[in-house]
Parts: sequence; structure tokens; C-alpha cells
Amino acid sequence: MTGSAIALGTALICYLLGAAVLGANLFLRRPALLWTGRGLAVAAALAHMAAVGLRCIELKHAPFTNPAESLSALAWMVSLAYLAAEVLWRLSAAGPFALGLSFLLVTLAGFAPAERGVPDPLLSSNVVSLHIISILAAFGAFALAFCCAVLYLIEHHILKSKHGLAWLKRLPPLLTVETAAFSLVAFGFPLLTLGVLAGLIVAASGGMGRGWQTDTHALLAYAVWIIYGLYLLARLRANWPPVRTSYVLLVGLALCLLLFFIPSDTHRFG
Amino acid sequence: MRLLMVGLAHQTAPVEVRERLAFSSSAALAQALLSLKETLGPAGECVLLSTCNRTELYAAAPEDVSAQDCIVRLTEAAHGLPADDLEDYFEERRGHRAVEHLFRVTAGLESMILGEPDIVRQVKTAYAQASDVGTTGPTLNPLFHRALSVAKRARTETQLGRGAFSVGHAAAEMAESIFGSLAGRSILILGAGDMSEATARHLAASGANSVLVANRTFDRAAHLAESLNGRAISYDAFPNHLAQADIVIASTAAPHTIVHKPMVADAVKSRRRRPLFLIDIAVPRDIDADVADLDGVYLYNIDDLRAVVDADSAERRQEAERAAAIVHNEAVTFSAWLRTQRAAAPLVSGVRAKMDTIKQEELQRLRQRLAHLSPEEWQVIEAAFTSTVNKIAHAPTVKIKDYAADGSEAAENKLDTVREVFGLGAAEERAP
Repeated sequence: MTGSAIALGTALICYLLGAAVLGANLFLRRPALLWTGRGLAVAAALAHMAAVGLRCIELKHAPFTNPAESLSALAWMVSLAYLAAEVLWRLSAAGPFALGLSFLLVTLAGFAPAERGVPDPLLSSNVVSLHIISILAAFGAFALAFCCAVLYLIEHHILKSKHGLAWLKRLPPLLTVETAAFSLVAFGFPLLTLGVLAGLIVAASGGMGRGWQTDTHALLAYAVWIIYGLYLLARLRANWPPVRTSYVLLVGLALCLLLFFIPSDTHRFG
Repeated sequence: MRLLMVGLAHQTAPVEVRERLAFSSSAALAQALLSLKETLGPAGECVLLSTCNRTELYAAAPEDVSAQDCIVRLTEAAHGLPADDLEDYFEERRGHRAVEHLFRVTAGLESMILGEPDIVRQVKTAYAQASDVGTTGPTLNPLFHRALSVAKRARTETQLGRGAFSVGHAAAEMAESIFGSLAGRSILILGAGDMSEATARHLAASGANSVLVANRTFDRAAHLAESLNGRAISYDAFPNHLAQADIVIASTAAPHTIVHKPMVADAVKSRRRRPLFLIDIAVPRDIDADVADLDGVYLYNIDDLRAVVDADSAERRQEAERAAAIVHNEAVTFSAWLRTQRAAAPLVSGVRAKMDTIKQEELQRLRQRLAHLSPEEWQVIEAAFTSTVNKIAHAPTVKIKDYAADGSEAAENKLDTVREVFGLGAAEERAP
């Protein structure tokens, strides 16, 4: 077993335990559980960073050679986004969702295509690395915005229905989750734009071969860009109610995840 | 000296009895403390806790002072009431039971509203008053310090002190669930009654610092606004201020609703997605129920807020068991420590007295033999003697405390040996 596999296994366990402990904290509200959960989240992110780093050394290029590795990298980005949100907004209630999602993504990576042939020469291109890293970082932020949207909808439902009001004490304030969701998308959208533009540059210079204009991945990426653009527009200009914009975020992440599972003729590295 | 608690509380005495024994002014309480101190003697100590739900005396009393004596003095101090009238309502606790009772009271476990936080301040004040009057000492000082730290522990380690204790508190909690920090949030108060004032005070205590008050009678609005550092506005103009308010408290005496859906819908349009929290504590209601259908508007009436209080109260009841276990363990530990102090104190002071006597005798003898020495030289000699005695006494003092803490028969035998060695006489020096 390689060093990266051991580190990834450690991260996987920490994700699961972190999600479970923070989930238990939602029910029991014990400071010890909260701090243990936060510690496990940090440990998971560090172990995952070690796994990515070691994989880079093993492959001698960015470890995004197949969908499995890209999913795993996305899981890491989600955990980093969660840690940032924890520091900025004390969003520990999003921990079970975020760490659970990271666990799920790493597990799914185990089932995703991981065939390895000759390393794609494109991977040594800085523009391609920028394309992949920007998009994964944006997706990490969007994943956490999704968690915030779920929390918003739950809290909104509780406040309107007046059932389960005791849960509100366990969750961050309604306005905080809404602000956090917007900030995460505002952070992720420029990264997504950068990633899409970098991809366009690579494709236009012939790096993706023929037919890239109608490639399913590229088309879906544009759809994702439009969805999050629409969210920002609706949030900033159109004055949509937060419930409606929260649903946009749910759709947005579903499209992001779809990118990893639909086949593509031109995207050979996840 | 033994620890004693006598008093009455809401569990056993109705309000008409409690109010007769209440010490509402600091002067009356100080007078009562001094009067009780007279009964307890020079070594006695006392603290009087008087709140609307209880009047309790905590005392370190000599063996010859009974609880009955304390009750008589206490009722006399309370407006000269005869003890016979109230005696049946009094409860008495001694030793460990008194310790645990004080710990439970301070933690809010004996409060009418379980876990309510105000009792901690009341216990702190009662102790400070007794301290100022000079009726506390080596028994009650550590007892009250411990009670306050145990209360803090019980509240920190459990959810006992969390949640809403009143409708106003529930409103503030709900507002925090929506907005997070209330700092900078604005409140619009419709109706200048007691309920709106109490609710606004809770919100202001949580940080809301911009208050507008509208009332049919402008003077009353101005009066309430002044007390809340806010501004009074004309009653008819309140719809124009809905868009700026984050929290609206409606508690007018109007016989029909005064806030309607179109009015709020207009306000919401210009709020740019900021939520609006409407608190309707008026009966009959001030706000149309269909206002709650609007996006971003959260409407809570008096029943909704009472349900929050009830739910929190149920949660606190579940936590009370855990808090009670913490309090019990702390009371056991403190009682054991107190016993040790009491058991060790006479023997330690006996040993010290014996050594001091020897020191004085030897110094006296030396003075006769060395009469030519100057006062400065005698000071040096005396300091050397004192230092020697302290060093010799240190090890036996530590051992005596250890044996007293042990409490076993073997340890008791060792204490007897110490008494024998120092010629203190076992029987009369044993701790009570």
C-alpha cells in the first residue's frame, strides 16, 4: 500500500468520524463533541492534503488523471471550504453535511473509473492545472453553499411551521447561513469563470481535439456557470426571496456532481 | 460549630407567607443579620438569602443555639412577627444537607422556574451583604464561594441555564435564531404596555440598540422610548417605519388588528431580503395572521412564544438530573473538606498552643539569664524561636489534616497518638 493510499484511508476515517461526532453534537450539544469534531475535520483535511501531495510525488504531476482522483480532490476542497466557513461563521452545524459529503465523494471515488494508461501530456500544462484546480476549488465552495442552503431551508421551515423550534438553538442563525451561502458562491463563481476560461483556451488551442464545442462536460460546465450566475443575479439584483435562491443552490450542486459521472470524449482526466 | 439552614421557600410556603418574611431593603437585611449574629455569639456566622421565592438563613451556629432560636430571631427581625405564626412553614437542614441545599438553590435547581439565572446574582448579593456587615467567617466564606462556582459548573456543563425563561426571553431567543447577533438591529414597538417594555428590554439586553415606540398616547410612547434610549413616533406613522425595523413588537389594546398583510408586503419589498420578525403579544391580536404567509416574514404570537418557553422548560427538566448529580458530588466533596477542617482545627490549634507555651516559657527563662541584651537583640531571638516553632509545627499540622481527612479508625488512632505525644488529652480534644 502506498503512502498516499494510507493518508487517504486516514482522511476517509476522519471524515466519517468527524461527520458522526459533529452530528452527535447537533443532538447533544456538548462542547467536548464540538471540539472533537472540529479536530477530526482538521485532521481529515491535513491527511487528505498529505494524500494529494504524496500522489503528486508518486505521479510527478497533478493527481487528476481520472474521475476517481478528481472526486477525491473535490472532497478535499469541500473539507477546506468547511474549515474556512467554521472559522468565518462558526458553521459547525454544516459539519455533518460537509464532512459526510467528503466521505461520500472519497467513497464514490473508489467506484469511479480509475484506469491509468500513459499520463496525458496535457497534465503538464499549467493552463490545464489552473483549469482543474480553479473548478475544483469553486465546486468545493459550491458544495458548502449547498450545505448552507439545506440549513437555510430547514430553519425557514421550522420558523414558519413552528414545529421543532428547539432545533433552532442547535443551528446557526438564519441570516448567517444565508450570508455564508452567498459569500461562498461569490468566492467560487470567479474561480469557476477562471476555470472555464482556462478550459476554453486549452480547447481552442487544439488541446482537446475536435468536437470540444459539443462536449457534454463543457456544456454542463456552462450550465453550472449559468446557474450560479443566475443565483448571484437573483441575489443581488432581482431581490428573489432566499428560499428560492436556496433551491437554485441545490440544483447547482447537483449539476456540479453530474459532471463527474457523465461520460466525455474530450475530458480524459476527470 | 455546626452548619445550619432554616428558612421557607415557594415549595412549602405560599406567597402570603413569603411576603411577610421578605427583607426588601438592604438596611432591614443588615439589621436582621446583626440581630442573628447576637444570637449566634462571637464565633457564629450567618448569611440571609431573601428573594421573592425564599427567605433562608445559612448559619455556622454553636451547639447550644438551636434552629428554633434562629427562627425566633429571624421572624422578630422581619417586622416583629411572632414565630408561632410561621413556624410550620419553616424547613431546617443541617451539615451536608444544608450544603447540598445551598448548592441546589444557587444552581437554580430549587427555583420556581427551573434553572433561572437570576438566583446566582441573588446569592452573590446575599453573601456580599453579609460579608459587608461582618457576619461571615471561616465556614460560610468557603461555602458560598464554592456554591457560586458549583452553580457556574452546573450551568456550563449542562443545558440547565439555557433556553427561554419568559415570553420576552423567548422573543429575544427567536430573534437571535433569525438574525444572530442583535447588535445594530432595530425594534419598532407598537403599544407602550408592560409586556412590550419587558420584551423590548430582553431584546435590548441582547444588543438591539435602535428603538422606535408608537402608542396612541404619545406621552406614554415618549416615556417608554426614553427609558429604552429610543425615539417616540406618531402612532399613525408606524406603517412608514415597518421597512426599517427588523423586529416589531405589537402589544396595543386595540380591539382589532392594526398590522395588515398589504402593509407588511409593502415594507418587505423595500427590505431587500432582510427577514422581518413580528412579535404579536397582544390579546386580541394586533397583526393579521395571514402576514405570516409572506416570504421573509416570521410572525409569532403570545401562544407561540409560550410554547417556546414550555419546550425549553421541558428540556431543562431533562438536564436537571445531570446538574443535580454534579451538585450532589460537589456537596459531598465540600462536606468532607469541611469535616476535615473541623476535625483538624482543634487539634492543630492545640498543638500550636502547646508549642507557643513552650516558646514563651523558654523565652522568659532566657530573659532572666540574659538581662543585659538590648531590645533589638531580643527581637532577633524571638524571631528565631518563632521560626523554629513554625518549622517544627509544620509537619504535625500536615499529618493531622491528612489523618482527619482519612477519617478511618486507624487514622483516628494516629490522631490519638498525636494528642498523647503533645499531652493534649484525647477525649476532650476530639472534634465534635
